[in-house]
Amino acid sequence: MFYAAPLLALAIPLFANPYTQFVVNLMLVYVLVAVGFNLVLGNLGQLAFANTALFGIGAYTAAMLMVHAGWPFWAAILPAGIAGATAGFLASVTALRGIRNYYLAIVTLAFGELLRWTYIHGEIATGGTDGLAVPRADFFGIVLDSETARFYVFLLIVTVIVKAVSNLLQSKVGRAIVAIRDNELATASLAIPTGRYIVLAFTLSGFVVGIAGSLFAVLIGQVVPESFGLIELILHFAMVLVGGLGSLFGSVLGAVALTALPEFFRRFPGLYEMFFGGLLIVFLLIQPRGLSALCAKPWPALRDRYYRDH
Amino acid sequence: MKLSANLLRFALAVLACAVTTMAVAADTTGITDTTIKVGVMGPFTGSASSYSKAQIGLDAYYKWVNDQGGVNGRKIETVLEDYACDSAKGIAAVKKLIHQDKVFMLHGNSCSAVAMAIKPVVVEAGIPWVVAHAANGAISTPATKNIFHGVPVGKTMGTAMARFITTKPGIAKVAVIQHTDDWAKSYCGPATEFLASKNIKPVVEVAFERGQTDATAQTLRIKQANPDFVVACLYETETAIFLKDAKKFGLNAPVMGTAGTDLENTLKRVGDLDTVSNYYVPHMYTDNLDGPRLKRFADILKKYYPNESVTAFSLISMGGAAAVVEALKRSGRDLSREKFLADLDKIKDFDTGLLAGKITWTAADRDGVKEAAVAGFVNGQPTVLKAWGQRL
Amino acid sequence: MFFLQLALSGLAQGAIYALVALSMCVVYRATTVVNFGHGDLVMAGAFVTYLLVVLAGLPFPMSAVLAVALLFVLGLAIEVGLIERIKAGPHIGFALMCIAVGYLLRGIARAVWGREVLPMPRVFDFPPVILGDLVVTADALVIFFVVGVLLMLFFGLFYRTSAGRIMQAVCQSERGAALVGINVRALHGVMWGVGAALGAVGGVLVAPLTLLHPGLGASFLIKGFAAMTLGGFGSFGGAVAAGLLLGVAEQWIGGYVSTKLIDIAAYLVIILVLALRPQGLFGRVVAERV
Repeated sequence: MFYAAPLLALAIPLFANPYTQFVVNLMLVYVLVAVGFNLVLGNLGQLAFANTALFGIGAYTAAMLMVHAGWPFWAAILPAGIAGATAGFLASVTALRGIRNYYLAIVTLAFGELLRWTYIHGEIATGGTDGLAVPRADFFGIVLDSETARFYVFLLIVTVIVKAVSNLLQSKVGRAIVAIRDNELATASLAIPTGRYIVLAFTLSGFVVGIAGSLFAVLIGQVVPESFGLIELILHFAMVLVGGLGSLFGSVLGAVALTALPEFFRRFPGLYEMFFGGLLIVFLLIQPRGLSALCAKPWPALRDRYYRDH
Repeated sequence: MKLSANLLRFALAVLACAVTTMAVAADTTGITDTTIKVGVMGPFTGSASSYSKAQIGLDAYYKWVNDQGGVNGRKIETVLEDYACDSAKGIAAVKKLIHQDKVFMLHGNSCSAVAMAIKPVVVEAGIPWVVAHAANGAISTPATKNIFHGVPVGKTMGTAMARFITTKPGIAKVAVIQHTDDWAKSYCGPATEFLASKNIKPVVEVAFERGQTDATAQTLRIKQANPDFVVACLYETETAIFLKDAKKFGLNAPVMGTAGTDLENTLKRVGDLDTVSNYYVPHMYTDNLDGPRLKRFADILKKYYPNESVTAFSLISMGGAAAVVEALKRSGRDLSREKFLADLDKIKDFDTGLLAGKITWTAADRDGVKEAAVAGFVNGQPTVLKAWGQRL
Repeated sequence: MFFLQLALSGLAQGAIYALVALSMCVVYRATTVVNFGHGDLVMAGAFVTYLLVVLAGLPFPMSAVLAVALLFVLGLAIEVGLIERIKAGPHIGFALMCIAVGYLLRGIARAVWGREVLPMPRVFDFPPVILGDLVVTADALVIFFVVGVLLMLFFGLFYRTSAGRIMQAVCQSERGAALVGINVRALHGVMWGVGAALGAVGGVLVAPLTLLHPGLGASFLIKGFAAMTLGGFGSFGGAVAAGLLLGVAEQWIGGYVSTKLIDIAAYLVIILVLALRPQGLFGRVVAERV
């Protein structure tokens, strides 16, 4: 059942031109971003602002390895994920001392902005404000120089990781994370070390989002500090919330919807910001549980099994 | 004998057909009998939306050309696409223009980072692209088959800024205040390089970020170093804040700005002449913004966009547009991308009537406009200057 | 004299941060929501004032007061119309609602003013006061005066009047307040209105210094949030003190260490304080009730 979507997606290049294929590739990147962010925002239930930092460090790590060390793309993916995981760990390590909620949120925000500052000022490694131009991706010898080629590779990577996250959520770790969201004190009373699981959730989230960053670097062909600021963060937030907090399926929907939306709004230049804000408001009033809940009503089979009510 | 002669004739005929088809298969994407589609990309939304005034100006110019009868019986149909100064959106916009809207050429872009991101896409597609506003010289140099710069690049402007500074008698110490982003670097980088070549190194360099509302720390640091000139690579708002703080703390050194601001509007923003009397900017035009030589261009803008105010950005792309129209005219009715590219490369010393420099493009050098002047206040009036104290 | 001048400018900046932080704190204490669209309310205050001055031709002081009043109504409307309605949903939904409202406000400003960067008409045009080496501008004096008066009014009202005691009751325990007959829902709206109004004052004060553009509020949101955290979430006095501290810290770091650090000074201070004292400067360590 899970593999139905990726299998169907294989047919997309038949109907797409390079523009629409590019948008689809961007959607795939953001699916990973949303899935990773949802781990912390939805499943763990912590407000966190570090996502763009994790995204950025994955992108920069991949870019630096490809540009400075000449590594091929396929070899840079895992290090990007590890960099993201490390960043997620560092951003949340204060949680071990009991920092939660809004304090944790601002620590993660501070961490993200500090990272962005280092991208700007770390000229030698990061290219500073000009950023780094990412060479054509080399995937085990095949050069990914068309949107279609990139699509197949991205689809593979995204499918593998989303499946892994799905398995994670059904495991002991996943259950512990959700339990912490529902009632941290009760969970702690079950002798589950909540602080450690919080950090674990952030670390795993960082891994997923870091890999998304490496895909982003290859897709755009460039990493610049501007791409990883607060405007980007709002997009990540919106994707998770519109899709459905805590819902894996929702993350996919949210990513697809919010990547497609600005493209539809090309007809109405200048009004996108207003419409985006208005749309979100209407959405939040009508269906705060997101698109996944909207879809689950007529098709209960699509109901996300890991989503718990607050 | 007859068979082989027939065979030879047959082969020649096939060859002739092949050659003719190849010649006929010139790229005429985006052209119909009555229209030429031009893709115009600009940051119409987002934090850099004031840059998009350049694209508005160029759209107005093309509309005017249409009202004059168009080019060789065809009207120019502009397709405007927004990218909010974001690279992902920029790539989406340009791919849409190329593969979905199937435009004939591109004339646009204000944000340099985005321009660099879309460059590989444009080069691969072979579509002609005249850069409307973005200042990074790396976009068009080294020369590619299809990218042209229609405005002075950062190096030209930075050099003009620095050269002017060196004409001030007794110049020895220079201070630099700038945003730490690629836009500011595209001006301050070449400017400091030129100054260094004249053995003038900055005595102090401070950062003033976009969005900050107070420049006390920066101004005091600069004042302490007592420079003879300050180079300020700042955007509109921050320039106003810095100039006000400079006056407030008694920093009297002359200040050199960038093409991101113009004298008229800076005066409006700070509200009093005293604060800007020492402010200079690189000036790409042949006259002041409200001067007689620029009037017809300002009028064109007013005609098609009556609510648009005229700033330094508004008219800048019209020069490139004039050159584009000239090349289109020369290509004649039998228009194709190949012909157009060849005619663009033949543009030599083209006087746009608007830009201080004449446009010249060759296959090896696509940096079209190599001159920029400087403007400053003389007796309260914005005046184009050749050197310190010398009018043009 | 570097030191004092920097401190002075820092205090002027900090006064605005303090106002924004206080206004966000008011909203937070009343409804436990951190308004992530608050920066755009600050911007809206400035824009509405501009509209009234330039388009309606009203004198500046009247426009400012009117704008603040209008923003009060807006804040109230947002709370009653939007925030109350999603109370049943996940807490994080509030964050997105606030962001969405901010986005909407910014979108409206951009749709109307688009590409322009507008100067706010100058009102207080008397020359700066020079005390030895210190320069105190008219703008700074106005900021100190207005913010000072506002703070005195606010704390006076909150802690000394019966209306204030009602607000305190709601902040401390909603159930208890409701049991005593206080209209908690109405008070939520009023406090949002107060928060929006205070933010609008910040916008009106800062607009003559910078220029008007739709993205004006972004930096104030971050500084306000930072000041709130620094001062201890939920502490009014803490938010004000932290705002002032932040403004001064920025100037000192910029003046003595590096101007490149000004942008992240707020974050550095936050991390430092939270590492040493997790509940912020004036926050109370709250024991969780099970």
